[in-house]
Amino acid sequence: MYQENWPDTYFWPYHQTRTMSVIVQPVTEANLLQDPLRFDRHVPPCAIVIFGASGDLSKRKLLPSLYRLFYERRISQSFAVVGSSRTPMSDDQFRDKMKESVSKFLEDAPFDEDVWKSFAQCLFYVAGDMSNPESYEAIREKLDEVEQSHQTAGNVLFYLSTQPSFYAEAVKALGAHNLTKGRGWRRVIIEKPFGHDLQSARKLNEEIHQVLDESNVYRIDHYLGKETVQNILAFRFGNGIFEPLWNRRYVDFIQITAAESIGVEGRGAYYQEAGALRDMIQNHLSQVMATVAMEPPTVFDANNVRDERAKLLRAVRIMKPEEVEKYAVSGQYGPAKVGGQDLLGFRQEPSVDPNAQTDTYAAVTFFIDNWRWAGVPIYIRTGKRMPKRVTDIAIQFHAPPLGLFSQETKSGLREARPNLLVLRIQPEEGISLRFLSKSPGSGMRLRPVSMDFNYGSSFGERSPTAYETLLVDAMTGDPTLYTRQDMVDASWQIVQPILDSWANTKFDFPNYDAGSWGPKASEEMLARQGHVWRIP
Amino acid sequence: MSSTVIFPAQPEQILKGLGKLWTGLGHEEKQQGKPTVLRACAMTLVVATDEDDGGFAASQLIPQLMHGHPCRGIVLAVSKTAEHDVEARVMAQCWKPFGKAQQICCEQIEIVAHPESWPNVGPTLAGLTVADLPVVFWCRHKGALSVHATPEQKAGLQVVLDLSTKVIVDTAGEDPMSAFELVMRLHQNGRAVADLEWARLTFWRQPIAQIFDNPMRTNKFSNFHTVEIEHEGAQPTPMALYAAGWFSGFHKAKVKFRSCQGFCPGLHSIRLISDEETIQFERTGPEIMRLFSTNGRERVYSHSEESLYALLNEELSIVGSDPCFDVAFNRAQELLIGQ
Repeated sequence: MYQENWPDTYFWPYHQTRTMSVIVQPVTEANLLQDPLRFDRHVPPCAIVIFGASGDLSKRKLLPSLYRLFYERRISQSFAVVGSSRTPMSDDQFRDKMKESVSKFLEDAPFDEDVWKSFAQCLFYVAGDMSNPESYEAIREKLDEVEQSHQTAGNVLFYLSTQPSFYAEAVKALGAHNLTKGRGWRRVIIEKPFGHDLQSARKLNEEIHQVLDESNVYRIDHYLGKETVQNILAFRFGNGIFEPLWNRRYVDFIQITAAESIGVEGRGAYYQEAGALRDMIQNHLSQVMATVAMEPPTVFDANNVRDERAKLLRAVRIMKPEEVEKYAVSGQYGPAKVGGQDLLGFRQEPSVDPNAQTDTYAAVTFFIDNWRWAGVPIYIRTGKRMPKRVTDIAIQFHAPPLGLFSQETKSGLREARPNLLVLRIQPEEGISLRFLSKSPGSGMRLRPVSMDFNYGSSFGERSPTAYETLLVDAMTGDPTLYTRQDMVDASWQIVQPILDSWANTKFDFPNYDAGSWGPKASEEMLARQGHVWRIP
Repeated sequence: MSSTVIFPAQPEQILKGLGKLWTGLGHEEKQQGKPTVLRACAMTLVVATDEDDGGFAASQLIPQLMHGHPCRGIVLAVSKTAEHDVEARVMAQCWKPFGKAQQICCEQIEIVAHPESWPNVGPTLAGLTVADLPVVFWCRHKGALSVHATPEQKAGLQVVLDLSTKVIVDTAGEDPMSAFELVMRLHQNGRAVADLEWARLTFWRQPIAQIFDNPMRTNKFSNFHTVEIEHEGAQPTPMALYAAGWFSGFHKAKVKFRSCQGFCPGLHSIRLISDEETIQFERTGPEIMRLFSTNGRERVYSHSEESLYALLNEELSIVGSDPCFDVAFNRAQELLIGQ
């Protein structure tokens, strides 16, 4: 390949000597070759240990995301993945299995055989039971090995993608086997659900903190990794014109909707224990609410942003037991025929108790007791088997104080429709503002029009998936989009009275048809405030 | 979809033509029961071309660029065969992103100017740039960039430069001395200048920089005393000089250039040599690159020649100054001039 006496070797420019020296700046320990304007974020060398490596999350999300990051050269070359689960497999068998998954679940990206070969050299596997101490020793040996072979600098990111009941045990075992200490940093990503209720979440936190400092705990909420959720911060705090309106003086109410058209899709056993309130509102949607309603941080860094999110969640009024019926609605879908297809009710789904009291729909009215939001209801709803899959946030502003253009109709005076700002999270990510415009022609007849910004089509490029974003964040030590202990605690506090009340209530389920927008009681909850749910 | 020729090419007439085009598109979409067209704008992109630029299809490239950089595209074609002194045509190109119902449309203005009339297009262009947004000028008119440019070409180039916040050129295949003189000349009055040869280097630079993310290597950065660059052609290309400028701009390294034998477009390899280790990043096949060190680690990259789209996409993402380029350019210039 390279020849020391290359015949055409010459020295530039037009110089007699064979080499030239260049005057230099002093070398510091920072990597001077980095070019943040053009290169992706600097990701340090590290090994990632995935517990539950043969599970669905690893196959569908984690490995495809890591491959994609590797393909785009967004992770360090000194990088290795150590998968671990009970299934006995060799490194090569694990690689083959992951190759199959990555090529199948890779989103909007090509699968390249040559790049895969290079990526596969970074994949290793350790079979073992998480309750068996030998498994951790085997992992430690493998980490020592890859630290040498792949120069991972002793940095390790542990990813707990296992049954939630193993979280505490796994963290304790990592500590007991000295895996949480080493030459480099050690961080642990913990998947949701983080606890089953307030008490269990606190207990889990305590157990984790016996081993790990909070700064090394990364509780993942993939909603926060979505581009459009991050865009809420850009929209609010990168522009000067919206924030002055973002308060009780101008906002009438806020609606957050996260609807799914699918049912439990084989997750009946899990879902039966979780329910919509725990599965969506306690984590994802309360974090979205915090993002929409929080105060501007003074500095855009992890602690300041998370301080503001936590502060907002702590300001949410905790319901008294007698208020739950007024401010929260539980629902469960029954069977229905949609588009000529018979859909099962929740109780008819496989592995579901035929008398299950599980909420497949939950709607809650929250109030935030601070100066900005006092008296402004924030309605959150989520449900399965709704007419379509959509997640959005609608901010309805007060109507103009004087109805100058209100119209007389046969049924009486029709109020002009107030302005509505909709932040769409999925599937058509974007922002739209509804305002009134004069209809063409004589007379002052007004009609609502929508001014639309579509994120995907305005920027037609592929956005990183939430897991790509969050994995890079964890590797670079940026926890801004991860939930902190106090945020988790606060979000459990706001739903706990509802969970307690519902646990002691026998509901007359099912109370909404598959393919509808939820139970009637939900409409009534808003009607009491003089509001209606919008149809997203 | 395009309109007929607009002459005289006055901004108001052109904008009126553009307005008609959008109204027509909206009407067409409505009749077909499709969602209405969308347009967004982040900048004005002016592309100047000449008759020798035959293979370049601006009308195809600009819509591609719109995906990441919504803009008003203005193609300024300087041609002796122009029917009028200055004439214009407006067009829109629409496409539907994969899996989306709503289509995106991009607007484009083509101005054809006779070489003698090029200096007169200033007022036309000034009336067409999108208000309050950056104007990026990609100059593909080789004649105007040359030191032998005619007075008309110089004046024509200047009217576009006067409107621009950033100018993009491509020095590939150019003599380094005149290429660097050009970059220096354009880099005036705080205007940002970009060279696509530098953007071509990103693929090389990033993996090399990543190697030094490892603290073990960061601390040994100064031990890499020699950088060897193997390039196409008998003399180092601007790209090879940029690579040398980038690496040696920060630390005391000897720079050696080698001429590559056989097929090796652009760069063939970059070798960083210390007493303990040699790191080599080389092109091992038309679409394969290999990064390896003498300590045994190896990584393979899939890489084809950067398309114009990829290069422009990168450059349009940087509207302000580019400090890393400035450092590399200054050092590359020193390497060239100091000898």
